[in-house]
Formats: sequence, C-alpha cells, structure tokens
Amino acid sequence: MKIPLKIVFTLILASSLSLRAQDHPIEIRKDTAHLIPIALRGFTGEAEEVLRFDLSVLGMEITEPADYIVSGRNDGQVQGSLTQTGMQRPIFARAYNGGSTRSQAHAFANDIVKELRQTAPIFQTKIAFRLKQGNSTEICVSDFDGAHAVVLTHDGAMVDSPSWLPGGRGLLYTSWMHGNTAIYEHNLATGARKVFAGYPGSSFSAEVSPNGQMVAMILSKNGSPNLYVCDIDGGHLKQLTRSREEDSSPCWSPDSREICFVCRSGRAGLQKISVDGGQAVPVHANAYGNLTSPDWSPDGSKIAFTSGSRPFTIWVMPAGGGPAEKLVSGEDPCWAPNSRTIIFAQERNEKRVLCLLDVPTKHVKDVKQISGSCSEPSWAR
Amino acid sequence: MKNLNIFSVFILGLALLATGCHHKPSSITPIPGSQGPSGGDNTGGVGPGTAVPVEPQVTDKTQGIPINLNEIFNHPYNEDREKFKNDTVYFDFDRATIKASEESKLQDVANYFKSDSTDALIVEGNCDERGTEKYNLSLGERRALAVREYLANLGMDPQRIKTVTYGASKPVATGHNEAAWSKNRRGDIVFITPK
Repeated sequence: MKIPLKIVFTLILASSLSLRAQDHPIEIRKDTAHLIPIALRGFTGEAEEVLRFDLSVLGMEITEPADYIVSGRNDGQVQGSLTQTGMQRPIFARAYNGGSTRSQAHAFANDIVKELRQTAPIFQTKIAFRLKQGNSTEICVSDFDGAHAVVLTHDGAMVDSPSWLPGGRGLLYTSWMHGNTAIYEHNLATGARKVFAGYPGSSFSAEVSPNGQMVAMILSKNGSPNLYVCDIDGGHLKQLTRSREEDSSPCWSPDSREICFVCRSGRAGLQKISVDGGQAVPVHANAYGNLTSPDWSPDGSKIAFTSGSRPFTIWVMPAGGGPAEKLVSGEDPCWAPNSRTIIFAQERNEKRVLCLLDVPTKHVKDVKQISGSCSEPSWAR
Repeated sequence: MKNLNIFSVFILGLALLATGCHHKPSSITPIPGSQGPSGGDNTGGVGPGTAVPVEPQVTDKTQGIPINLNEIFNHPYNEDREKFKNDTVYFDFDRATIKASEESKLQDVANYFKSDSTDALIVEGNCDERGTEKYNLSLGERRALAVREYLANLGMDPQRIKTVTYGASKPVATGHNEAAWSKNRRGDIVFITPK
C-alpha cells in the first residue's frame, strides 16, 4: 500500500491573518447541531467531488444561498478561500502543493472544517473493514471515504474484526486460516503476518489500546469466552473476567485505563473494567434489547453502541452511563478521531454498506461503494 | 323385609360384590424384565451394581473446563463430518444451554467414545444472523464449549474436544425467519482421526 505524500500548503495571504482579528470579528456559528449551508464555487472534477463529499460528512450542505462561500480553483494545484457570506475578506485563503489533487482537496476540506466545526481533521485518515464477496471474506483497508481500497488477505479463509496497530503500521484481525479461531498481526509495509494470539480454544475480537501499548481480546482458553489483556508484543497476558457466560466486543477508554465490553448476564449489556482488573461495573443506558459492539469516543465523552437484533440501531450515550439517544439504523459503530463522526455498517438489500454519520446533525453519507458486503469498520486513530 | 329370604340375600350379596369399589384387573400385561405385577423387586434379574471410579471433571462453577488439547490436534488429522451429522445440537435463541431434547444425541456421541480413545472431536459453534458479528463469535464459542462440557460430564476426555466458533458466518439455511434461524443455531460435531 502507498503511503500518501505529505501535503505542503502555502499561505498566500499571510498578512490577512493579522488583519482578520482587528477588522473582522468573525462570529463563527458554534452551534454544532445544525447543517451549515455552504456555497461551493469554481472547482471541477475530482477536487469538486472530494470537497462536496468531505464537507457533507461534517454536516455541511452544498447549496446557495449559503452562510459561507468556499471558492477557488484546481488547475494545477488546489487553492481556495473560505468567506462568510456578506464579508469582504475571507476567513482564510490557501494554496496546496504536493500529493495528488485528491489529497490537496482533502487538506483544504480539513482546514474548512477546522474553522467551522473546530474538530480534528479526518479527511486523510484510513479505515479497515471486513469485505464479503460471495462466500469469501477478506480484510480491506481504504481511505476514510472508501477510495484506494486494497484487499489485504487472500487466504480463502474467514476473517473478522480488524483493529489498527499504532501509527497505522499494521492490523490485528481474527482469521480461521489454520482451522481454528486465532488473532493475527499483519504488517502493512511488508505484508508479513504472524500469529498474535493462538491460545488453546478460540482467540478473537482483538482491540489495540489508544496508547498503542496493550491489546484487549476474548479468549476461551480457560473454558469460557472471557476478556483478557496483554502487552502489544503479546506478553503479560492477564485474564480480566471470569464469568461463566460469554463476554465480547471490548473497546478502550481514551486514556487506555479501562475497557468497556459486552457481558451476558441474562440480557447482553455493557460493563466497564479497569485494565488492572477488579470488579466490572455495569454501564446503564435506557436503550432496549441487547446492547452490543460498543465504541468509546476519543475525547472520552461518549460511548456508541448497537442495540437490538437484526435490523439493528445505533445509539450514543454519555460515557459514564445515562440516557442514550437513538441515532440511526445500523451496527458496529466506530468513532473517527474527531469524536463527532461515526462510521458504521447499514443493511441494504441483503448486503451491508459502510456509512458516515455526523452525530449532532444525524446526517448520513455513504462511503464509496465497494463491490460486496462491508462490515466491522475500524478507524485508524 | 320380613319376606326377604336367604336366597335373596345371597343374590344381593353377589350383586354388591360385582359392583363393589375394589377393582380387580381383568388381565395383566407383563412388563419386560419384571417379575410380575404383584410387586416383586423390579430388577429384571440384575444385581445391585458396584461403584465404578469416575475421574472428577474440573468443572469450576465460575468457569468452564480449561482447554489443554490432546496431542492429536498438533498433527495432521482426518475430519469426518458425516459420522455425527445427525447429532448436531440445536440451541434456543441467544442461549448456549443444552436442551433436554438434545441430550440423547450427546449420549450417542459419548457412547461411541467409551470404547475408543484414540480419536477426537471438533465442535463448531454457530449462530443465527440476529446478533452482531462480534457477539455471535462469542455466543458460537460458548455453544461449542457447552457441548464439550456436556460430553465431558458423560465421561469423555474434554481435551479430545476442540472448539471452533463461526459466529453466524456459516449458515446452513438462508432466510430471515425462525425456520432458517433455528437450523443455524447449532453445534456441529466433527469426528477426528489421526492421519
């Protein structure tokens, strides 16, 4: 897989930055929960397509009349400005060098979103997911929007649950390639693979901690599918839960100190446990049905999860527990680095497609369609 | 009443006997192996039985039986999916409990292994489509383990029973209804022999 070229952007109107604060006290709408109407002018082809898609993902509606104007051109390089409607001077104006037109357009969109939503950039990030075509399943990586999709596995074996390693250098995933259920580590640069966890019984559902130092996973080696943690090199294996019932779906708190997971005691529900062990505590939400597949937002404030049974719905609740809000029909939510966008899988016509949800506006945008059924997305954070 | 003679009393007595409360069975169906209907000892001629030593299974109530598989799984082996095809165990929705209706199947399997100790089993746990994939992986594994534990309690060596989970990825029936789902919630038993 090619590593994207570094984007170098030039500040054309550097002086406008010093003028801006004095002459134009811009009041950028801080209201995150509304669609922002934006005019898009002057761009063509792929640059226009990328800008339109990216801004839409963050709840901006390309239309006129609009609150803001994004104008520019992409002959040779992408350059453009963001201006509040009615203002003389732009909020910023930049030209982007290096990389492809697509990369430059993503960089411009990141800068626009930073101004209007004050969120971390996501448009040059990667996702991994499970792709099912006919009877085969494979692990796939792509840009966050589905572009540049690369199929990583060709084993003719079932695969599941991809999870990114630190810095996007590789993935852990579950594979049945050797006749048992085991976790493999896949180096993206070299394509090399090794068994990460192949204990007696079944090993599956690995999740790397945000600080990249530990892995949580489900192992049945002691007679029940329970939650375990180990170091990133596989050492210091520790069993965290010992229930008779099955545990599943671990996810990490952003400080890598706690794990939220699904525990079966009667109905499936969410629990939290310290990485040091101890008693797991329930996380209460007022959602109905089985609660599964949680994911903790990178800013620590929210947990998204799947509720019900096929067809599923995705909900989000405060990370400490509390009233949950139903968001959209779908399953397997995974937060973007901005703690605002969620990628998830939605069932359509007997197959699953990946979608991007802007949580505050509930606006949904489909990821670029890949032939086959896509599920279990993991966002490289 | 003065005219009720002895003969009449006799007839009356017989009538009373014939319509009395006591039933007397008109015919006896012998129960195979029993001595007869009037009580006996109901042992069919079998002695009282002697105690047979049973190796206690380490079934921790807080967990299942730890997995430490027999060597047979470390070398090439043959898989026979036909032998115990009719002993596939079916489960209720979202459950991993061995139902009463399935117990005789596992008894069949355990009976085979009582006289044979060089072979092994793989139990494959499966689910219907109604859970998320990660949830189904765990539930499928729990079902495979439940079959393993049940067979162990019938006397099989649990380390000759390997578990694999497929979640909902290997349905035998398509369709989005209980008819299909009930066929997919299963533990398949694969017979293993060393090559």
